Amino acid sequence: MKGLRTSIIQEKKRTEFVIMEDYKFLFKVVLVGNAGVGKTCLVRRFTQGLFPPGQGATIGVDFMIKTVEVENEIVKLQIWDTAGQERFRSITQSYYRSAHALILVYDISCQPTFDCLPDWLREIEEYASNKVLRILVGNKIDREDREIPTHVGEDFAQRHGMYFLETSAKEAENVERLFMEIAAELMEQARCKELPRYEQNTTSLNGKTTSIGDAGICGCSRLS
Amino acid sequence: MFSCCWCCSALRPRYKRLVDNIFPVNPQDGLIKNNMEKLMFYSLSSPEKLDRIGEYLFQRASRDISRRRNGFVIIAMEAMDQLLAACHAQTLNLFVESFLKMVQKLLESTDPQLQILATQSFVRFANIEEDTPSYHTRYDFFVSKYSSMCHSNNDNITVRKQIRLAGIQGLQGVVRKTVSDDLVENIWNMVHMDKIVPSLLYNMQNARYSNKENATPESPTEERSDPPQFAETCMRELVGRASFGHIRCVIKPVLKHLDNHLLWVPNYFAIHSFRIIMFSIQSQYLYTVVEALMTHLDEHSQSPLKIRTSIADTLSKIISIAAGESVGPSVLEIISSLLTHLRVSVSRNLSSTNDEQLYQEALINALGEFANHLPDYQKIEIMKFIMSKVPYSKLDSITTAGKGDVLLQSILLKSLLKVGTKYQTIHLNTTFRPSFLQPLLRMSLASDAEMRLLVQQIFHTLIDRHKNINKLTKPTVNIIDLNLEIEKASRPDIIFIKKHGPEIYMALYESLELTSNNVDNVQSIYTTLALLTVELGSEETVLELLQLIMSLQDLALTSIEINTAIKFNLHAIVISLLVLIANVCNISNLMDYGNKIVRNRYKEAPHLLPDLCSEYGHLSSGISSSLLVDQAIVSECLKEVGLETNELQGTNYSNNSLQHRYSWVDNTGCNSSGDINDGTIELDSAGSSPSVQKKLPGEELTFDSIKRILTENSNVQMMEEEKRMQFSHLFRNTPFPDLIKKTQPKHDVLQSKLSEIFNVLNIEPRSQSIQGSTPSDIKPSQTPAYEIHFPELFVY
Repeated sequence: MKGLRTSIIQEKKRTEFVIMEDYKFLFKVVLVGNAGVGKTCLVRRFTQGLFPPGQGATIGVDFMIKTVEVENEIVKLQIWDTAGQERFRSITQSYYRSAHALILVYDISCQPTFDCLPDWLREIEEYASNKVLRILVGNKIDREDREIPTHVGEDFAQRHGMYFLETSAKEAENVERLFMEIAAELMEQARCKELPRYEQNTTSLNGKTTSIGDAGICGCSRLS
Repeated sequence: MFSCCWCCSALRPRYKRLVDNIFPVNPQDGLIKNNMEKLMFYSLSSPEKLDRIGEYLFQRASRDISRRRNGFVIIAMEAMDQLLAACHAQTLNLFVESFLKMVQKLLESTDPQLQILATQSFVRFANIEEDTPSYHTRYDFFVSKYSSMCHSNNDNITVRKQIRLAGIQGLQGVVRKTVSDDLVENIWNMVHMDKIVPSLLYNMQNARYSNKENATPESPTEERSDPPQFAETCMRELVGRASFGHIRCVIKPVLKHLDNHLLWVPNYFAIHSFRIIMFSIQSQYLYTVVEALMTHLDEHSQSPLKIRTSIADTLSKIISIAAGESVGPSVLEIISSLLTHLRVSVSRNLSSTNDEQLYQEALINALGEFANHLPDYQKIEIMKFIMSKVPYSKLDSITTAGKGDVLLQSILLKSLLKVGTKYQTIHLNTTFRPSFLQPLLRMSLASDAEMRLLVQQIFHTLIDRHKNINKLTKPTVNIIDLNLEIEKASRPDIIFIKKHGPEIYMALYESLELTSNNVDNVQSIYTTLALLTVELGSEETVLELLQLIMSLQDLALTSIEINTAIKFNLHAIVISLLVLIANVCNISNLMDYGNKIVRNRYKEAPHLLPDLCSEYGHLSSGISSSLLVDQAIVSECLKEVGLETNELQGTNYSNNSLQHRYSWVDNTGCNSSGDINDGTIELDSAGSSPSVQKKLPGEELTFDSIKRILTENSNVQMMEEEKRMQFSHLFRNTPFPDLIKKTQPKHDVLQSKLSEIFNVLNIEPRSQSIQGSTPSDIKPSQTPAYEIHFPELFVY
């Protein structure tokens, strides 16, 4: 089946003179963390470039998409923004499994959100793929009343083999960098494992990849 | 870089030109219909081009999306819809890919309008039956996205509602599309179900009516536009499609959702959703749901009682739906695990709190509900099963039952009663199989008065077949007013009572002998006997019944242990039963005789008539013979209607019980059978003598009495024998009133002494007195037993 499909794709490519906005990689990024740490704001800042004041609590799961360019490749990020509230735990958990990257967010001005991190890690351990890329994010660095010093967060991340970054959705600090680094890292991972096979299929025109959207999806799904 | 497409359109392939032509210059003008028809004709005549058309349309649309030209996007989607609907299934295969990519693209946009549009197209696609399996379509994005849409929190309420509806529709579409197709990914996968089920439930729980009990949706017509309503429909469909292996995948997220959203207390929504599941699920899997809920109850063993009670309550609400379909081992399994829960609950909390009781009640209710919907033969099985779980100890150590056991006994008996209430007896012999009847009779002698009451209630509900139970709850002498419904007893029933009657009567008699009885106990035994009379009254059974009531009167006259109030109660039920028997069997002489006694008592001793009281003040316990039922006259009455009365005179339950159970008493010289065949006067005059001497079973079996018997030398026996002869001679030849005068004061002294002793006994822990029955340790607590014996012997 796979062979048939590849041949169809190749056939398509041969004949096409296509310029289309499509992507080579698709990555699923899931944000988790206590309620009110600013997950939705991070996503909004990144995808829409705005900081929505008075953002209500997320219900269930929110979805955003953002296409970025990393090393001249188009990368599509599917961002699933989960509700922090306990009652939605069962549905949010179901989104972990297919994630390529998990962003675990806490509020640097709120000790309890940091204290909950071990619980979150346990959940991630249980429900997510073990190869998932894990990033610890201390949000709200614009706040004056910091309770968690940077090095504490850093230590924690290091101990649990996570990447670490401190951000501010309000001041747009490190938000872009966070997602771009995730995209770059995931792309790196994907290339090591999968890329050679699809590289040969890529016919470039004007430096853009052509329609291998399917191949991209497949390649990435195999990550998990 | 896109502009070149427009200038060199003439050089472009035909399908591209056709596609381009359907788009108007101004998006407001909508699809150009003529050109769309051309495109359709082209794709129908050369279907091999269809996939390219699809892809091209998709590319155009994605370009338009990125440029936010939504008008063109909508047109492209419409074109795709039309192509999808027009083209034959075989050719759709690759076109579908572009189509779904298009739908996904639209869903990815942040514009709610596009998302809704995409969903509508997707639903249309979902309704198409594809001939060729579409193994390259992947639905996980759709499941994820639609679930997310179900939780939409858009600021605009109308938009929010629309998006949520779209989400539900989309999920429905995915489910429809995938369940019918084995080759696509398995929608029943936990990953998907964990998203789909909570999303549906989340919408359902927002319904107005799920917060109230028994409320129904006002207008089912708005189903498609009301998210909760629609989610419910979708849920039904999903559950209805689930096969055995998939039930768990659906139920588990439901339980998890209810846990997470704290929807167990109050449990309206839980009940509501479980009802939906129960009614939509394929009926052969119903018990799986019950099982799952039961397992969930297990998992909640540490949760607050309120939650457990609510779960049990939910269980009781849905279990009846499952009962009809349950067969074989699954039934007993369910019953068994319910009983296990009860047992755990009892052992966990001996000092029954209110909540715990509610929980137990909920479990018992579940049991009752379940039994209610089973066929009758299974109810008997269940009653037997429950009875076999009742921890009862041997008669002589009835008090060994620890507190937990007693509680468990009463809980189990309560469940038995619940099941029994739902059971309609047809033949007594099928209901009361020996394996069921015997333990039940044994329980009727339990040391706990309340437990005995329960057992009697079980008898009531099982014996009563003509709904007379409410008429006979209280003894009365006005039988005609009761409007009893009487049917002639059937042959099998007569055979049953012939066979088991003595056993039952004996148990009832012994039960009445117990000193811990109160009015309720006496009353309940009356009801049992009255029901037996009504159900089985016939010429063949009347003798035994009369015999029993004579013995009861005897007991009331002679017993030294039961208190005066109970004695009066006994007299009252004796006369009530006599009148009832006379009426049921239609023996007019007996009726007259009964009424005469009633009249006499009414004049002289109204306390010997119903209603029963627990306190009679300071009434003398002496009763003149004209107020008592005279065995001779009863025999006379029976003779007149042609009944053999020998039996009536022959045996007497008080003696019977002694002989039957404690035959060794005879050897040791207790004159227990002196009155057999002793003529007719003995009952009303001196007949009491042997019974006075007889020791109560409770005391008889202690170690000390055995020991005493062994150590007593025959000399003493001889002397006692002689003494007794004198006594009986004296008693037989003295007129009754004199006798009463003689014995009365002593009785009272004895009575007070006895009650004193009993008070002492009651204070002492019960367990001690049982340990005493093993030879190795004679406890000081045994001394009262002697004290009971000696005064008794010295009375005469």
